[in-house]
Amino acid sequence: MIWPTLRLSLLVVSIATILISVAGTALGFLLAKRQFRGKDLLDAILTLPMVLPPTVTGYYLILLLGRRGLLGKPLYDLTGWTVAFTWIAAVIASTVIALPLMIKSARAAIESVNEDYEIASRIMGKSEFETFFRITLPLAGRGILAGIVLSFARAFGEFGATLMLAGNIPGKTQTMPLAIYEAVVSGEDERAKWLALILTGISVTVVYLTNRLSRPKKG
Amino acid sequence: MLDARIRKQLGSGNGHTLTMDVTFRAGSGITVLFGSSGAGKTSILRAIAGILSPDEGRITLDETVFFDSSAGINLPMQQRRVGYVFQNHALFPHLTAEQNVMYGIRTHTRHSAHERARELLALLGIRKTAESYPHQLSGGEQQRVALARALATDPLIMLLDEPLSAVDIATRSRLGEEIAAVQQRTGIPFLYVTHSHNEAVRLGNTMIVVDEGRVVQEGPPLEIFNAPRTAPVARVVGAENVFVGKVLSHQPEDGITEIDLNSCRIEAPYNGLPIGNRVTIGIRSEDIIVCRERLTQTSARNVLPGVIRNILHDADKTELIVGCGVDFKVSVTQAAVRALSLEAGSPVYLLIKARALHLLA
Repeated sequence: MIWPTLRLSLLVVSIATILISVAGTALGFLLAKRQFRGKDLLDAILTLPMVLPPTVTGYYLILLLGRRGLLGKPLYDLTGWTVAFTWIAAVIASTVIALPLMIKSARAAIESVNEDYEIASRIMGKSEFETFFRITLPLAGRGILAGIVLSFARAFGEFGATLMLAGNIPGKTQTMPLAIYEAVVSGEDERAKWLALILTGISVTVVYLTNRLSRPKKG
Repeated sequence: MLDARIRKQLGSGNGHTLTMDVTFRAGSGITVLFGSSGAGKTSILRAIAGILSPDEGRITLDETVFFDSSAGINLPMQQRRVGYVFQNHALFPHLTAEQNVMYGIRTHTRHSAHERARELLALLGIRKTAESYPHQLSGGEQQRVALARALATDPLIMLLDEPLSAVDIATRSRLGEEIAAVQQRTGIPFLYVTHSHNEAVRLGNTMIVVDEGRVVQEGPPLEIFNAPRTAPVARVVGAENVFVGKVLSHQPEDGITEIDLNSCRIEAPYNGLPIGNRVTIGIRSEDIIVCRERLTQTSARNVLPGVIRNILHDADKTELIVGCGVDFKVSVTQAAVRALSLEAGSPVYLLIKARALHLLA
């Protein structure tokens, strides 16, 4: 009975990590390179999920996406479908919770790239877009990869916001952390132990392997 | 022909602001932008390249308008076709020397880009570094790669920001000559920022002196160094008189080397350089003595007759511009000017100790 939970968790965290990597890098770039009005406010709002209790973030997500929510209601009226209490809700919850970590890492990594390299590329006739993919991204690569790993670990362990938006439905929205909580509460000590060990093992392995792979090559 | 009129309010680190307001033209050959650090030289290059947008002005290169505030034109830097050589090279650290050069090549096939990159590396004598990463190269090699990389984009003008400042002294003069040779071979106009007298006279066809965001004098480098037109120019170019001469003969037993400065023979300390070698000589303006009559019993090895052409007064110093076939600037006190009743047109003799002549690197 562990496998379905693990499989769901891996599915949720894989999709969340992909979304986080793309959106986090794009937002990190925006904050690092662009000057615009309301930048500090945007930065503060994007950081909120990191400082608020996940249950509060989850509550806001319900207000936004729930069946009677700001976006959720028109969607429900139109299609009769709501994202709440589906596995997609778990993806959304863990994405929102872990995104700030990715944004911060990506922004720091992009800002750490000496601007002269980017200017040199632009002067050599390359667009901003091409410069980003051929110069900035490779040079910021290690910082961005570190951000992805951190976000993965955070998303994998996501509990509070997932519980609020996706609920705790075994086989449907019950991810590993939720299953561990339920096992402990209902006195299934053996199950709780194995779930916790597997979750820890996967997180440690991912962080360890990434550290090894991203170690600078000796030139 | 580059035609630039640039106005820009610049903020600097220490809260002090500088208004850059320059108008100049740069044609073929090497045009040197000379000035002390913080004078706004680099900002001028950055404005031409499009890294920095002027508040007001117009920048054109031949028929292409780079920037025109009144017409609302500001060509993005990737469309300006300038080659830029950074002070710190700015080679892409994750690419090899050859990949750095290939990065900007505007051809369509991979094969021809490859060939062109090899050709440029060969032109700068660094073909063997093709597979090396920037951190494996010496400062001189890095700067050669940076030059090759800038040339690879087929630029219409090259902008060089103190390209020799991060290179060790031993490599500097050779690399300088190579830069001049590349300029001649390609025929591309070079705009060259430096604060080195030696680089300015060795490389510059013309020189533009920049001080506190303004152009204060333009002309041949030697003329400006030795006969600045105004006191502020004299302050920017410093106390050094600069000459490019040729080694004529050595008298090692007397500790003397004779040098030819524009058909004016001058004695310098023995240096052992090959006869006929070109040397850049500096004589500080405060190391020259002015006499109204010809002294014979003197230890000064050089006594040159001349005529005062101009007298520049500044707050704390006075400089005479004296023509002796070549021009010298001579720093004197106001008291000496009065005591010798010196004025423009006065005939004088300049006394210069051999020891006061030094080689500029």
